[in-house]
Amino acid sequence: MKYSLLVAWREYAENAKTKGFWLGMFLVPLIIFASIQVPMWLQKKGTPVRYYVLVDQSESLAPVIETRLHRSHQQQVLNELNDYSRKHVAGTNTARPPSLDQFISQGGETVYLEKIQPHLKADAPPFKSPRRDFQQSPLPAGLSKDSDLATVVEKLRPYLRGEQKIEVNGQWVSLSAAILIPRDIEQQIVRPQNKSQRSAKGSISIEYWSGNLADNKLRDEVESSVSTEIRRREYLLRGMDAVAIREVEQTYVPFASLNPKKEAGQEAVNKIDVIKQWMPSAFVYLLWVSIFAIIQMLLTNIIEEKSNRIIEVLLSSVTPGELMMGKLIGIGAIGLTMVGSWIIALFTILTWKSGDGASFTGPLLNVLQSSNLIPMFSVYFLFGFVMYAALILALGSLCNTLKEAQNYMGLITMLMMVPMFTMTFIPKDPNGVLARVLSWIPIYTPFIMMNRVMADPPWFDLVGTTILLLVTAGGALWMAGKVFRIGILRTGQPPKILEMLRWLKR
Amino acid sequence: MNGNSFSATAPLEVRGVTKLFGDFRAVDDVSFSLPAGSIYGFLGPNGAGKTTTIRMILEIIKPTSGSISVLGHSSALEVRQRIGYLPEEKGLYKKMKCWSVIAYFATLKGLSRKAAKQRAFELLERYGLKDFATKPTDALSKGMGQKVQVLASIAHDPEFVILDEPFSGLDPVNQQVMEDIIRDMAKRGRTVLFSTHVMQHAERLCDHILLMAKGRKIFDGTLAEAQRTIPRRVRIETEDDIAPLRELSEVVSVTKSDALWELELRENADPQSILQTCFARGIRLRSFNQSEPTLHEVFMRLVGPDAKEATFR
Repeated sequence: MKYSLLVAWREYAENAKTKGFWLGMFLVPLIIFASIQVPMWLQKKGTPVRYYVLVDQSESLAPVIETRLHRSHQQQVLNELNDYSRKHVAGTNTARPPSLDQFISQGGETVYLEKIQPHLKADAPPFKSPRRDFQQSPLPAGLSKDSDLATVVEKLRPYLRGEQKIEVNGQWVSLSAAILIPRDIEQQIVRPQNKSQRSAKGSISIEYWSGNLADNKLRDEVESSVSTEIRRREYLLRGMDAVAIREVEQTYVPFASLNPKKEAGQEAVNKIDVIKQWMPSAFVYLLWVSIFAIIQMLLTNIIEEKSNRIIEVLLSSVTPGELMMGKLIGIGAIGLTMVGSWIIALFTILTWKSGDGASFTGPLLNVLQSSNLIPMFSVYFLFGFVMYAALILALGSLCNTLKEAQNYMGLITMLMMVPMFTMTFIPKDPNGVLARVLSWIPIYTPFIMMNRVMADPPWFDLVGTTILLLVTAGGALWMAGKVFRIGILRTGQPPKILEMLRWLKR
Repeated sequence: MNGNSFSATAPLEVRGVTKLFGDFRAVDDVSFSLPAGSIYGFLGPNGAGKTTTIRMILEIIKPTSGSISVLGHSSALEVRQRIGYLPEEKGLYKKMKCWSVIAYFATLKGLSRKAAKQRAFELLERYGLKDFATKPTDALSKGMGQKVQVLASIAHDPEFVILDEPFSGLDPVNQQVMEDIIRDMAKRGRTVLFSTHVMQHAERLCDHILLMAKGRKIFDGTLAEAQRTIPRRVRIETEDDIAPLRELSEVVSVTKSDALWELELRENADPQSILQTCFARGIRLRSFNQSEPTLHEVFMRLVGPDAKEATFR
């Protein structure tokens, strides 16, 4: 054992010096951090202000669109104000936040800020009002809202393509969209009774011109505000009571989604449950990446010793068993260090970030702390590593060059890919036939069981597959030991299967 | 460990060892034993079974039959801390620093980490590699790398050292350094077994020689005994008739090339008697040469055509 530890120490110390190790160590936390931070950041300042021109020749819809855009901006302001007051108002704020209508009618941001001003903590920063995402731009020179729409389109084309800039408040900006409403749009309204006539009349419609197909937000706002307005007018036109209709539209029956597996009184399905269902998949991925990374490390390592013939000196000092055990411990410890640092980083980032926004990171942290995800991950990491390491040690001792070994490695990688494909199916039916069958295949056990771990798999599966995994890992290790001892000093062609079977008998 | 204090048991005894690879007899019933404190030359053409024998001594591979005892133990692993080994094919961890490679192998041989580090720096300084001590080994030339590996194999000051082809790849200066290292170890009572193709090294260094060919032991004995295995020769240069010499009982045969006569003598014959006869019979000599046969000649004669035939390595 003393010699194994000496070998292990060298493996650890030397591998800990490699660039790959440090890269792996910091890359994953960086990705975790970025995946939490970037969407938040993008939401805040990512999308630039988009400018649009609105030509409303019908002269009845422009105010509707304007109001809608104003309201959605005010909603955003209100959300941020609520967030701000939650964070910076001293004591517990028991007052219910106002609804959007209340907020606007009471005077908006200014009044809201005045109201909370006396209660603010001393160190509260000033409130930064969010910008309005969509700003109207005047028409370029030479165009008026009465120009022929076809001319308008022709003139606007270079602006919409980004070839020309438009002047808004003394700044030259690019035009993102144009909304053109024809004069006789009222006659174009499609009703069930005249649906068939529409195609005959030609295609006069509200036109939304934009080169940016990915961002539909403005288009959706325009379309939905115009449709709502048209319908409102239609109710009035047919003599219906608009107020009654509005009330009817707001009726609903309560609908709850419940989980029978949970304690009485806690059956409600919430965000945490969704996270619980999908979190294991993230851990499967982490497990896969970490096991794959360190068996690669192990393979390169053993091939180096073999191709340099260092192995011969080593074997005059330690037994093959001691050498193998040493490598297993040393490289395993490297893996644990890496994975450990990832988990610590994950907790640190989540704790740090669960303050603001709190919509996602808080519940996530909650799930991690209250569940057995991390312990199970550690167990499956260790067992999985031992089994794959045994395979790799045996493989490595048969190959003389890295190139040769990479060919076989390709095969192993392909076999290893299966849990990656099933990763997204298994949470949908975690105790189904596919999941159960795959769990009993030892090389997949760590990944698949990790995937099922939050779904309370039957004890029989949990214990049985672990025993099978351990037995297989032990067997693989024993076999690797045999192959290793004989294969390690071979040069030239890798042995044939039959020959290898003979080695096992010795 | 103080020099000259080892027990009288032979550091190595090999008894009737055979190794089969499939049907191929790599080593065939070889027996020999090393006296303590000797320098033992292990000679033989490529594929003679030298490396296989060495690997069996070190228990890296197991013999098919026969037994080996190293430093009085039946398993080399039991006494691995007292053995040093330099394999034929040399290699080092490329990214490791020179001192740390030496120190690592020394710790595997039982030295404490601190002692191993100290010893590594000491050796590197003594053998002119001080400036490279903290460089990674892939910054070294091939010869320097090999020197580092030699140092790694003797860093724990082993009682018994096995060096497989220690001279290959070294320049003449470093070959001399290698010879010094070997002599120095023998002087301090260590036993050295080394294999080589270069007969001059063996000639200069060895007390004993073991010659193998095609897996068999061909010769095992002292250098003088080896030289006695081929008849003594006397070379004379003269323009006179040498007929009288042919009649001498000591002379077995006479051959001539150019002006040089080569007389093969009977075993134990005294070359001085030839000289006396020449004076007595008035044969005027331009030169008289009675040099000992070289190890090279011994090797060529004993191994003969096998030296070229060997195919397996």
